[in-house]
Amino acid sequence: MARGGGNRSRLLLVILLVTALFFITLDLRGVSLTKGSRSVTQTILSPVQRTVSTIFSPVGRFFGDIKNFGKTNAELNQELALNKLLKGELAMAGDTKGQLTQLKAVLDLAGRGNYKVVAARVIARGSASSFSQTITIDAGSASGIHPDMTVISQNGLVGLVKSTTGSSAIVLLMSDPSFKVGVRIARSQSIGVLSGLGSTEYSLVLLDPAGTIKAGDTLLTNGSEGNKPFVPGVPVGAVVGVDNSADSLTQTATVNSYANLNDLGVVAVVLSAPTSAPRTPILPSPNPRVTVYVTPAPLLIPGATPTTSPTPTSIPTPTVTPKK
Amino acid sequence: MSPIRIVSTLGFFFVLFVVQESAVSLIHFPISGFSLYLAIAISLIAFEDHNGAIVTGFLAGLVLDLSPTSNAPFGQWALILTSIGFLFAVNRDSISDLASSPITFVIFVAVGVSLSLIAYLVFGALLGEENGSLRHDATVLLGNLLWTVIFTPMFLPALGRVREYSLTARER
Repeated sequence: MARGGGNRSRLLLVILLVTALFFITLDLRGVSLTKGSRSVTQTILSPVQRTVSTIFSPVGRFFGDIKNFGKTNAELNQELALNKLLKGELAMAGDTKGQLTQLKAVLDLAGRGNYKVVAARVIARGSASSFSQTITIDAGSASGIHPDMTVISQNGLVGLVKSTTGSSAIVLLMSDPSFKVGVRIARSQSIGVLSGLGSTEYSLVLLDPAGTIKAGDTLLTNGSEGNKPFVPGVPVGAVVGVDNSADSLTQTATVNSYANLNDLGVVAVVLSAPTSAPRTPILPSPNPRVTVYVTPAPLLIPGATPTTSPTPTSIPTPTVTPKK
Repeated sequence: MSPIRIVSTLGFFFVLFVVQESAVSLIHFPISGFSLYLAIAISLIAFEDHNGAIVTGFLAGLVLDLSPTSNAPFGQWALILTSIGFLFAVNRDSISDLASSPITFVIFVAVGVSLSLIAYLVFGALLGEENGSLRHDATVLLGNLLWTVIFTPMFLPALGRVREYSLTARER
């Protein structure tokens, strides 16, 4: 520029920078023109993303599959052997099977969530050119989804709906640095705030100065007023490390989420939660596995109305693992 | 830069944006994601002359601002990439061209991508956005730098030919 640009280039630079600043000012002042442009873009993008996702999803895990190929193969063989052993034990002990059925029924009853949900497929992930962590799902306002609704996967909380179009919605993942959720420790009922850190780990700050956190503690969503943005009782994660520094007023901890956010295929958006008690599942210790029953209709029929699942939507079920 | 080229560049960036948001973002890259959009945008900025670099940066930023997943205000990317375009215009002679010094060219593109992301983080922090832990941000920057260095040489020759084809007789 100094050598060959001249005044014209400088003028052009100033005009374009001022234009950009003008757009930023408009957006920060909440002018709907700029927000509307992003909504239009999402409307255009979502059919393309849906198509590309169907074709492209096997390629998406290419790097991970290569890395884990040998490990997965070995694990598969090990699991097959264990399965054989387990099948044999179960066949011999009919009594054990009966007890297991009873236990499951008790846990089903205790953990009845009765959430009204809409299932949706993940069709895109957030762009690498921004630092926000989002996914795009193939169900939107036509299926009853609106911003600030809880999104769950088979293992627990995933995030909340950030914005919607008719046929798609953007979900802010719980790993996003701007994500915060009120949680409750299942053991002590102490409440705290869980924040995303942009990675697989989360930060928990307890609100009660007298409360204590222990490694392995299970965290559940505390719920919000009117169930927006969070419904109560959704499993969030487990405490993996506790910070006992003397200089902080309340305890803080590091948490790992139950939901694997890198491997989301299908999620469910909670449209409403039951208003009568009990609203939260009682989690079995030490490590809960949540099964979510959902109606698959919105996946296949665009514009279909959501229905309440006839079975509990958030049911902790015991896992049977043989001793090695 | 002629009005026809401005329109065609804008169209090209939009198609590239759709590819980035629909396909490239689905790939789980080790370390961190790769922004094909930024890599190609910075490459095109590097190809352009003084005014062309600034205008291309602005157009690329404007399209990237349309991203519905972004938390940043509309116009942030336009501001950043216009500034990057200006930096490339100032250092035009150092960048040289692809044919004579391809390695220098690739390094400039990779550094340009990293600088854009750093500027995005700094500007976002000034506006009060949550950017996450320093470790996470460093991983994203490192991952983008690495993948840009690896992938840019693969598409640069084809991108150069496409750009040559899009130039008017006067611009050639």
